[in-house]
Amino acid sequence: MKNESNFKKFWQFFWRSWAIQASWNYERQMNMGFLYGIVPTLDRIYPDNNDPLQVAYKKEAYNRHMAFYNCTPQTSAFTLGLAASMEEEYAANRDTFNPDSINAVKTSLMGPLSGVGDSFFQGTIKVIAFGLGVSLAQQGSVLGPILAMLISFFPSAIITWFAGKLGYTMGSKYLNKLQGGLMDQVMFVCGIVGLMVVGGMAANMIGLVTPIQFASSGLVLQDILDTILPGMLNLAAALGLYTLIKKNISTTWLLVICIVGGVIFNALGILA
Amino acid sequence: MLVQSIVLGLIGVFCIMDSRLLGRLNFERPLITCTLVGLALGDLKTGLAVGASMELISMGLVNIGGAVPPDMNMAAIITSAFAITTSATIETALAIAMPIAVLGQFIGVIGRTVLGTLTHVADRAIEQGNFKKAYSMHIVWGTIIYALLYFVPIFLAIYIGTDAVEAIVNVIPAWLTAGLNLATKFLTAYGLALLLSVMLTRDLTIYFFLGFFLVVYLGLDITAIAIFACILALILNSVKFKKGAAAADGPAPADDYDPLEDDDL
Repeated sequence: MKNESNFKKFWQFFWRSWAIQASWNYERQMNMGFLYGIVPTLDRIYPDNNDPLQVAYKKEAYNRHMAFYNCTPQTSAFTLGLAASMEEEYAANRDTFNPDSINAVKTSLMGPLSGVGDSFFQGTIKVIAFGLGVSLAQQGSVLGPILAMLISFFPSAIITWFAGKLGYTMGSKYLNKLQGGLMDQVMFVCGIVGLMVVGGMAANMIGLVTPIQFASSGLVLQDILDTILPGMLNLAAALGLYTLIKKNISTTWLLVICIVGGVIFNALGILA
Repeated sequence: MLVQSIVLGLIGVFCIMDSRLLGRLNFERPLITCTLVGLALGDLKTGLAVGASMELISMGLVNIGGAVPPDMNMAAIITSAFAITTSATIETALAIAMPIAVLGQFIGVIGRTVLGTLTHVADRAIEQGNFKKAYSMHIVWGTIIYALLYFVPIFLAIYIGTDAVEAIVNVIPAWLTAGLNLATKFLTAYGLALLLSVMLTRDLTIYFFLGFFLVVYLGLDITAIAIFACILALILNSVKFKKGAAAADGPAPADDYDPLEDDDL
């Protein structure tokens, strides 16, 4: 296989993985997105639309990739590359290769790849990019959003590119590695970085204070709280709401609680 | 007003296409789109301020898998426009954002249900051997429907809603404005709590507190926290997952760990 044609394939894996959500639907989620990704491969394998046998094979392959699918787009490139190489193998060894294994591999990969992809992109990259971006934007700097875009773009592009390439060229070999310890390591590192940044944001971006003063003694309650534990109210608010989320109270209700709570606590002069 | 509404609708299309065609590069986030709205309407400062606040509130609302949360991305675009074109303060605008976000959620749910029918059209097209039609359901029709799902509500909200918002804002009393100011702080806490609910595990809880205390006691900023967090995480990773430890744990084969793996992070 020539390198030049491989480059074109990698480019297709890359762009078509990014475009996998264009028809995201409740029924089979990213099914058509995955089909769109693997179409160039299938059309390359079965080019002759006038040969009834090829058309039958092609229909079978198209149908196969209309199955339920859902995965983080960036890491999904790995599955796409791997599935493409499996389709080629199947076309070459029709008698010995079991086509069911293609969807079996897709299904078995989407869970772990989504887990690692979401915790990396949604849990870590997004938190770092927008933690920095918001702190700059709050100072009125347009560098905030620009930096957030740059920090988001490069990891996403690099990982999508190499995921597709690795999946296609050595997918089955990396499969073992993914199911081994690599996943745990990525989750561990992402978890630490993400949580530390969220901890930092909880400390300096909420900004709750209490205006309560004791007129008789001239004591300011906030000063007392700060000597016990600075940012205590912010920590309490974040952890309190975390508890409510864990009790499965719906997002809409929690938004209402926040807004009504804000109006009430402010009117009572307890918090500001 | 018509031109403005169209431009904002197009910013909405840009926003939804980020996750449809660009693998979710986070260009859909309020911090980015509100800045664009600020640029388009000639008030970058307000755009940035609304973007920063909306970002904090919504950062934890992840739409992973099947769940569609309140659509803060759509609400952010509409809200930042209201904050710029009407006399609404940023806090008032944020409060207006919440019902818009819930409405956007409904629109999103309906849209994704309708898109399910395209799957059946594609199934039939494959059966008839019309392969091109099958995948155009995805890249052409899916894209168009999602674009409309954002363009139409945003266009209408700006075109019709601006006067109504102006009228509402003018009757909001001062005590309510002050209350909404506090409410945005709660909402920020809620946004961070949502992030925690996705990320927090028993073993990793201490790192949240570490980040918190590094800021309150040492006064580090977010950049510093991010840098130290990366370094600390990589150090701990090499300690926790080094060859000897993996072998001692038993099931994980030690051969799987080689120095190259760190490059993947």
